[in-house]
Amino acid sequence: MGQEYERDELVDGVVERLAPLAPRREEAPRPPGQMLAQLKNQVEAKTSRPTWWRMQDMLNRKFAFGAVLALLLVIILAFSPVRAAASEFLGLFRVQKFAAISVSPSQLAMLERISQEGLYPGELEIISEPGEPQLLGSLEEAASVSGYTVRTVTTLGSPSAIRFSEGAQGRLTIDLAGARAILRLADVDPTLLPDSLDGADVDVTIYPTIEQEWGQEVVLVQTESPLVDYPADVEPAVLGEALLRFLGMTPSEAHRLARNIDWTNTLLLPVPENLATFSEVRVNGVSGLGLSSLDGQGSSVMWEKDGIVFLLTGNGMSLDALREIANAVK
Amino acid sequence: MAQDFEESGSNLTTFSDSLLLERALEGDTASFDALFYRHYDRVYGLLFRLVGARDEAEDLTQEVFLKLYRQRFAKGKSHNVGGWLYRVAMNAGYNAIRGRKRRWQRDTVLLPDPSELPSSPGERVTQQEERADVRRALRQLPEKQVQLLLLRQMGMSYAELATACEVAPTSVGTLLRRASEAFRSVYEEIAKE
Repeated sequence: MGQEYERDELVDGVVERLAPLAPRREEAPRPPGQMLAQLKNQVEAKTSRPTWWRMQDMLNRKFAFGAVLALLLVIILAFSPVRAAASEFLGLFRVQKFAAISVSPSQLAMLERISQEGLYPGELEIISEPGEPQLLGSLEEAASVSGYTVRTVTTLGSPSAIRFSEGAQGRLTIDLAGARAILRLADVDPTLLPDSLDGADVDVTIYPTIEQEWGQEVVLVQTESPLVDYPADVEPAVLGEALLRFLGMTPSEAHRLARNIDWTNTLLLPVPENLATFSEVRVNGVSGLGLSSLDGQGSSVMWEKDGIVFLLTGNGMSLDALREIANAVK
Repeated sequence: MAQDFEESGSNLTTFSDSLLLERALEGDTASFDALFYRHYDRVYGLLFRLVGARDEAEDLTQEVFLKLYRQRFAKGKSHNVGGWLYRVAMNAGYNAIRGRKRRWQRDTVLLPDPSELPSSPGERVTQQEERADVRRALRQLPEKQVQLLLLRQMGMSYAELATACEVAPTSVGTLLRRASEAFRSVYEEIAKE
């Protein structure tokens, strides 16, 4: 009966359908001897010092998050306008899409640590500074000085203030040793950064920015998507993988995800989880990122459309209310 | 530990799971090692099919065997070690998937879920889609049916399935057919989308 009993066309067909789930050669597990040894180590470690073991594991992850922020801060601080920080981070692209990932407060502590250690990923040279914002009299004037069509919130009437900031240019010359030291401090494999990065120049161009205010409540900032030039032999996905490891992802997750993100146009924004929540929002038919502060101080929406990056902030406003305003930006 | 196994002197490979477990409970590490070697590939295989990521499947496999190591089985009784391992593996796999989804939804936005991504850049899109569709279909089936189908796909005989899934040998055929019908129906719906 055995063999015949086990033949069933329907079952066989389904089994065949399930076949792609089987691990391929490169997905085979490590040798059992190696895994067993690891298991024994784990048993011993957990038996002898469970609290320390768990804490260490937790800290390692948290440090990884913080280190990314450290890197971010270095870049952000180097370019003074904080509002442009989002566009400056990662620096290897033109921003067309936003994505967010949460960061815990203790990971933020790592930022301080890296800062105290004086670690930098390279030398930053400011080629031209944005200068002080200048007050403008009208949106027409704003369009004239910025060189692009300035959008405004059509439902709020004339802004109470319009400001213009010049563009800026900077160059980061990568110091591989410094960049790798940051990775090491975050417990991320430093060799993720290829040798070819050492001494490579990354040029960042920030375009003129127009800022409009409506009282103290609503602020709309817009700028042409910042441009970052990097050497042709720099592989953005490799840097992206290092970044994702920084953010606490497992090596395999980071590896897979890094190759499925278009690093030439996606801005990954780490959001401190004790400060804000975030979600995807649709604004004028495009996907954007919404942030809500946990203390009820306000919310922000950022999106990109037709080559212009927008950041809308509402003091004391809910994200829903702000999204409505964002949809009225024309 | 592999060394313990090799140096144990007894031919542990011929011992039943239950006997190995009995000896392991008495502190014989070589017997535990033998159980590990015997079931490692299949537990990993089941978990990989469930979660679709090598590192995660390895971690979960470790977790399953760690539970086996710590489980206080009653001494002097016969135990279905395979059945226990696959049941614990299924639970661990489903917990990981649920936890991963929750974590991912909570911690990120607008980033693709890595569990739905190809393992390597060279992976064909069709294969990636195929895996994703099959997993989507499986997630709509009861865990018991998923376990049965996956273990069958891994090449287990009906007799082995009866032990591994802790069901009567005479009902394996019916249960498999029922699971296959359920899968086919869900999968066809997904394929239409």
